[in-house]
Amino acid sequence: MKLTFAAIGVVLILLSIYAYRTLPDPSAGGKTRLVWVTDNNPVRAEQVALFNRLNPDLELVIDPANTDQQKVIVQSIGGVGPDLFDTYGRESAEAYVASGIAWDITDRMLEAGIDVPKVIWPAAVPSCVVNGRVYGFPCNVNANAIWFNKDVFDRSGVPYPKPGWTWPEFIEIAKKLTIRDERGRAKQFGLYWDFNATRDLVYQHGGRYFDPTATRCTLDSPEAIAGVKLSHDLMYVHKVAPTPTEEAALSTQGGWGSGGITFLMSGRVAMAYGGRWWLNLMRKQKGLRLGVVEIPYAKERVTVGGARCTFINKNSPRREQALRFIKFLASREYNELLNDQADALAPLMSACYTDRFLHNPAHPEEDYNAVWREVVKNSIPAEFCPFLRGGEMEPINTQLDLVRGGLKDPELACRDAARNATARIRRNARLIPHLGRLYRELTGQEP
Amino acid sequence: MTSNARHRRNLLIALSFLLPNFLGFLIFTLGPVVFTFGAAFTNWDLQGIEPLRWVGLFNFATLVSDDRFWIYLVNTVYFLLGMPFAIAGSLAVAVLLSTKIRGLVVYRTLLYLPSVTSGVAVMLLWKVLYNPDFGPINHLIETFLSWLGFENAKGPTWLLSTQNLFALAVERLGFDSSQFGLGAREAIILMGLWGAVGGGNMLLYLAALTNVPRELQEAAELDGATRWQNFRNVTWPQLAPTTFFIVVMGFIGGLQGGFEQARVMTGGGPAGTTTTLAYYIYNKAFTEFQMGYASAVALVLFALIFAVTLINWKFGNKELNY
Amino acid sequence: MAAENVKGERARKFAAHVTLWVLAALSLLPFFWMVLTSFKPLAEVESPNPFPTEWHPENYRLVFEQVPFGRYYFNSVFIAAWCTFLVVLTSSMAAYAFSRLQWPGRDHVFRLYLATMMIPGLVTTIPNFSLMVRLHLLDSYQGLIIPAAFSAFGTFMLRQFMLSIHPALDESAEVDGARPWQIFWDIILPLARPGLVTLAIFTFMGNYGSLFWPLIMVKSEALRTLPIGMMYFDSQYGRQTNVLMAASVMNIVPLVVLFVVGQRFFVKGIMLGSVKG
Repeated sequence: MKLTFAAIGVVLILLSIYAYRTLPDPSAGGKTRLVWVTDNNPVRAEQVALFNRLNPDLELVIDPANTDQQKVIVQSIGGVGPDLFDTYGRESAEAYVASGIAWDITDRMLEAGIDVPKVIWPAAVPSCVVNGRVYGFPCNVNANAIWFNKDVFDRSGVPYPKPGWTWPEFIEIAKKLTIRDERGRAKQFGLYWDFNATRDLVYQHGGRYFDPTATRCTLDSPEAIAGVKLSHDLMYVHKVAPTPTEEAALSTQGGWGSGGITFLMSGRVAMAYGGRWWLNLMRKQKGLRLGVVEIPYAKERVTVGGARCTFINKNSPRREQALRFIKFLASREYNELLNDQADALAPLMSACYTDRFLHNPAHPEEDYNAVWREVVKNSIPAEFCPFLRGGEMEPINTQLDLVRGGLKDPELACRDAARNATARIRRNARLIPHLGRLYRELTGQEP
Repeated sequence: MTSNARHRRNLLIALSFLLPNFLGFLIFTLGPVVFTFGAAFTNWDLQGIEPLRWVGLFNFATLVSDDRFWIYLVNTVYFLLGMPFAIAGSLAVAVLLSTKIRGLVVYRTLLYLPSVTSGVAVMLLWKVLYNPDFGPINHLIETFLSWLGFENAKGPTWLLSTQNLFALAVERLGFDSSQFGLGAREAIILMGLWGAVGGGNMLLYLAALTNVPRELQEAAELDGATRWQNFRNVTWPQLAPTTFFIVVMGFIGGLQGGFEQARVMTGGGPAGTTTTLAYYIYNKAFTEFQMGYASAVALVLFALIFAVTLINWKFGNKELNY
Repeated sequence: MAAENVKGERARKFAAHVTLWVLAALSLLPFFWMVLTSFKPLAEVESPNPFPTEWHPENYRLVFEQVPFGRYYFNSVFIAAWCTFLVVLTSSMAAYAFSRLQWPGRDHVFRLYLATMMIPGLVTTIPNFSLMVRLHLLDSYQGLIIPAAFSAFGTFMLRQFMLSIHPALDESAEVDGARPWQIFWDIILPLARPGLVTLAIFTFMGNYGSLFWPLIMVKSEALRTLPIGMMYFDSQYGRQTNVLMAASVMNIVPLVVLFVVGQRFFVKGIMLGSVKG
């Protein structure tokens, strides 16, 4: 009996040697492998290749399968996390810092001569700077403007929009470009409207989602209501943009798929509010004639700016090498490549004030890059309320969803959202001690 | 050697044998159980974004007021519906096999195969079988229906359908007559039946049947009892302990089940109709990493299983002791 | 009267055989379909005819080309083998302590084991997982093997087996001067061999098909076990039903073989599982 067990034990040990030997090794082939958890955007391949060319002793690879914030955190705590991962705004940045897996690189970047908050677009700062400390660098920065399809305008004989136009002018143009058949069904819309851009409208009307302390929801201010109302009216009053149902019908009609980009490319809509990164897809269609103009502004010339930033896993044994990637993101080579690829705008402000940015020789028809620079310059980051993390934004989101579906009057929805969200803020401040402290610090009052 | 010294020596010897297993037991079984009891009263979220703190009954209050918890509880109980049929089926097959039939081993092997191979591979197989457009199950159903005269009849959409035999509504507690039909839940129950009828329960009944004293049955026959009466009044009571065991294990296993089917075949859908409490716990704990809340749900599940087992014990024991 | 009975008996036997055949066929039908489909070309998968018109055994080779199926297989067998080895070893030692040795508190501790067997496994996975995270054992062979290497059920089952061994054997060996360790290895274990084999078979098959624990522990491809690999295959190449079926066939073959070969242990084992201590 002892013999049997011993023999089996020996076999198992031999198998174990084989098993461990054949596990992939992060430093195979003499290069150190860095794992970057990010999405599978096709432009990434060229960016990664450029980095690997400039750093022959490193091999950067992408892992699009484990991008969940929770997975990244737990895996990093457990020692099997990636070396680099992305944040999409202030909330994810703060979550990563709070969980302790983000590496504070403020001093390291200063040593390299990079004062991150000063050289990147202001809208990108909250995505990589938390409590004044730098944890990463943005990959790209985006703000939206109105794309328009010149062919669609030419077909209807409507002159192209000019900067500085007003909302009434906009609506008039859009109406001319919305064509309905005898039964009243639209074959073409003047505008494709992504309801998420309601935030842009609220901001430009002078409204905000929260007060400066973020302890009260201010969607019930007249300015905010005006913004939400305009967003609603584009679809349901002026009827120049497809409602969700009309959008679904539009996509089944033509085999072109759905989404603003494809509608614009196929000419089903004349205009769409989107970002420069749309070019990734739109460049594929040769002969597409596009123009870009800033959206009309009601009161403030402001748009919502967003950035995707890359952080380093503090627990990674390869974090020094990973730091070289962050510095790469601040390099001239990367920023030029990104602008050429038109994957929104490069994070370094200076990289967008070059001739090369304004006129890319490979795409001479893209004569509107100055507009993109303006909107990103004038963009502000989306507000963040620490009392309403994650799913806690639900009081606001459900009301806005009702408006989007045409099921509720915008003003009523805004008042309900403000009331419910403020109540939720105070409830969370009462229930969660550190939020309670924050509330008292900010307002000097009890929640 | 004094008695105390002997005790100590015996204890040491026993420990040397017991230690590896016992250590593992403490670290991976007993410890975690105690830990979960504690974790359920905290806001523990493995990511450490919020500082860890005691929240008392907050998690339990949340789950009680969360509609989805109750819906998933209903789903979990729904899947128990197959149990009486599975048990009856196993018993019937065991009876057939126990009649000193030739080729018993062959039959037993073939019938046990579904049970022994159960796992991800077989579930993926059934996922394909249930495909509403090209799966053989619907092929057969549609052929049969058109043979009966219903041309162009389509089979149910099985795993894609929220319909069910109790017309339970979707995403809320209640009934909805438009939801009557054969859907994902029924598909999973049927698959479970296929795997269970020839399985371990059948073997248990087979063994128990061979232990039923023949004299009792022969005596009943002589008294003029029909086969059915013989079975009901003589055999069935003799099988009571086995039946009791099977029912108790069935409840314990059934209440904590449904995870593999949901994860492999339906992703918990459509619209949460195949999400059981086990799958809900998995999602809360290992996708969202809300460990505190998930622990609370796990505890509730455990309490449920405990209560059901107690009820079975009280009820079953009465039957056993006569 | 007797002749009628005999005719009735034969008819009943015939009816029993027919029913059993139908049931056996129903049990086998899905497997039949699975094997047949694994040889079909992709275009024929949807056809109502279960038989392929052209046979494509290269579907089996395709499985290995599309995913590292060989690695998945190795991992499943490797991990299951280690778990089985450890479980049988530690459980038999513990069962010996519970059944053949006298020591204070023995029955209380055993009742503790029994009590925890009723607790759903889900309750323990949450703390076990976080322990693995803290110990940095995520995504590692150790993390997959060690928590599964201890079984209260195994101890319970082997204790049942050992209790049925005549106690006098121990005493006579002791009189001959044998130490407990020797008694364990040379007398008890050989006698308990059927129990050991049964436990080994059950543990191996259970670990081979285990989904939950590897699912939450494994992140890299090189450590995937068969159940994880099958799900990954389904999500990436699931459209290729024929190749998926080939993978499924290869997946369950060891289970079928183990069962057919070790049938009597199976039956015994299930019986033992139901006898209360």
